[in-house]
Amino acid sequence: MNERSWPGTSGSDPAEVFLRRALDDAALRAPDDVTLRRGWTAVAEPVKPPRARSWSRSWSWFAGGVATTAALALVCGLWLWPRAVATLTLISPVTTPRAPAQVAPGARRLTLEGGVEAQLGSSGVMRIEDGAPRVEKGEVRFSVPHRPPGHPFVVRADDYSVVVVGTRFGVVVNDQVVGVDVDEGIVEVRQTATQRRLARLSPGQVWHSADVSVETSGAPAPEPPAPALPVSPAVSAPASAPEPGHVHVRIHDHRQAARPAARALALATPGEGSATAGRAAITSTPAGLSTASDESANAARSALSAGDAPRALQIYRALALKTGPAAENAAYEAGKVQNERLGQPANAVATWRRYRADYPDGILRVEADVSIIETLARTGDADDALGEANDFLRRHPDSERRAEIARLAGDLYRARGDCRHAVGAYQIVLGASRPRDVVEIASFRRAACLVRLGDAGGGEAARAYLRTYPTGRFRTEAAALVGDGARSVDGRARPQ
Amino acid sequence: MQEGPVNTPAHLHAVPIGGSPIADMEIAARCRRGDSHAWRTLYDRFAPVVYRFLSAFGVPLEDREDACQEVFVAVYRSLGHFRGEARLSTWIYRIAARHASRTARRRRVRSLLSTLLVREPPPPPAPDPSERSERLQILDDLVSKLSPKKRLVLVLFEIEGVPIEEVAKIAGCPENTAWSRLHYARAELTAMARRRIR
Repeated sequence: MNERSWPGTSGSDPAEVFLRRALDDAALRAPDDVTLRRGWTAVAEPVKPPRARSWSRSWSWFAGGVATTAALALVCGLWLWPRAVATLTLISPVTTPRAPAQVAPGARRLTLEGGVEAQLGSSGVMRIEDGAPRVEKGEVRFSVPHRPPGHPFVVRADDYSVVVVGTRFGVVVNDQVVGVDVDEGIVEVRQTATQRRLARLSPGQVWHSADVSVETSGAPAPEPPAPALPVSPAVSAPASAPEPGHVHVRIHDHRQAARPAARALALATPGEGSATAGRAAITSTPAGLSTASDESANAARSALSAGDAPRALQIYRALALKTGPAAENAAYEAGKVQNERLGQPANAVATWRRYRADYPDGILRVEADVSIIETLARTGDADDALGEANDFLRRHPDSERRAEIARLAGDLYRARGDCRHAVGAYQIVLGASRPRDVVEIASFRRAACLVRLGDAGGGEAARAYLRTYPTGRFRTEAAALVGDGARSVDGRARPQ
Repeated sequence: MQEGPVNTPAHLHAVPIGGSPIADMEIAARCRRGDSHAWRTLYDRFAPVVYRFLSAFGVPLEDREDACQEVFVAVYRSLGHFRGEARLSTWIYRIAARHASRTARRRRVRSLLSTLLVREPPPPPAPDPSERSERLQILDDLVSKLSPKKRLVLVLFEIEGVPIEEVAKIAGCPENTAWSRLHYARAELTAMARRRIR
């Protein structure tokens, strides 16, 4: 079976041609930068170093069985228990505190079902309702061990549900304003009635149902807006205004924000809190700075949409002078505007180099490197492009863009007649094994370089190309190379 | 005329090419020790791969991002079990495949429940009008009609470019079975494409 011969591209069967193209498209499908950054934000600190398995598998099964039995017994117990107990207010803890000596004055620590630890603040009031805790008043901090899939731990507070898989977080209710902050893991805040997701929080993020409404780039996109109250005039309108009668929930990524201040923001009760309770927002500190950054980023995007690239560049430059993720993003975006919108490749390269100097381990470092290399190659600065490409290959041994850059380096070496180095670069592409079209091109060009060098492996490399890509786009040239390779080896005559 | 063996620039061999077992073991060990740089490297290297695999495997657009994150959380939690017997990519593909199947199952149950409860299903995402996107949508649609076993083999071999021996390891079947599944998957896909295009 020739594993690479399907589907053919002979052109006789439109279905096969379609499938070939579609499969090639699928092989090149990649998430955008923002998606990757959002993903990284969510998994960057996924708790502590994972532990190697210490129990034998059989013991794990045994423990699992015991835990399942205990859980079943507990569920049955709760089912049969009088209804009144289910709504018991835990003002006096009924569950024995695990370590009473460690409980801070005025605070109580409870161990709930599933090993969940709840630490009630001095004014915290919590109730168990339908098997799930509900924070009535004050602050309660939870530490939730990892839960099995499909069994999230849910804490209710006012009209909201906080859904977690395994994490540490706090819930505070103050005059009908609900605040949630996350220490570890990921939690989701949902509207209890509709189960609509309002926010997904990573460590360090804070959400509260009060009035502030701000947004930054690189944040997880919320689900469609939840029904809520009218927007207060104090809240700045986003670039795309939400429909009337809907709330626009926005998330801040504020890893560089100071935690205590963020907590203070969540715990504060805004004056108009009760009037605006139900409007949801995630904020970070310093709120003023972030809001300004977000507005600037939105303004730059709006200017670009309106075709006003100089204005967008101006905004990005001003924003890049600040600190934080929005500033880092702006430092990179300014280069993109110069390159793509203003036709200033040299300035763009300078901007990206400045970005690299400011953020040597920045989240957009690879993007900046690739942008510089591609721009230099496009503008004919082959020496500089090759220097950058070689640096990239040295610096990013695991990058997904490695094959792409190696191919570009190979092409640049080949264009200047340096087939020896071109072969080395193409070799990297073949080692990287994808994407498919990059590999095919490198495979053919490597064969061409080897034949040109009079290398004995040239003919074989061309034959290997034909075997792998019998209907490939260079099949005619490769067939010619096979003959050239044989001649050059026999007579050491190099094909032109 | 230059003669002699073909040289490769030194820096091109200075680092192992991504995916080699040594690099895999090292990166996994460093992640296990809590090295955040190694974790970042692993994410940068495999996030686009996992995302592409989930897309091709039929995880819908609206669930893809969450699914990708969940795969990485699962990878992190399971790193303690990675013994280096397979390539790291093979191991991650296996986790992603399990996760994608589970997501599909959950989605089917949800859709069944919403049908039973006569709840309005969520609106489909707005279609992208480009020709490439249309092709991808048709391909996704056709691939989703294959059985999960055939789909897995086809996606890994044809789209991800994974060698068949690795495909067999990921699918947990002998190599000949993987070939056989691939053969039938290709035949079914071609037949479906012919019907669709006609």
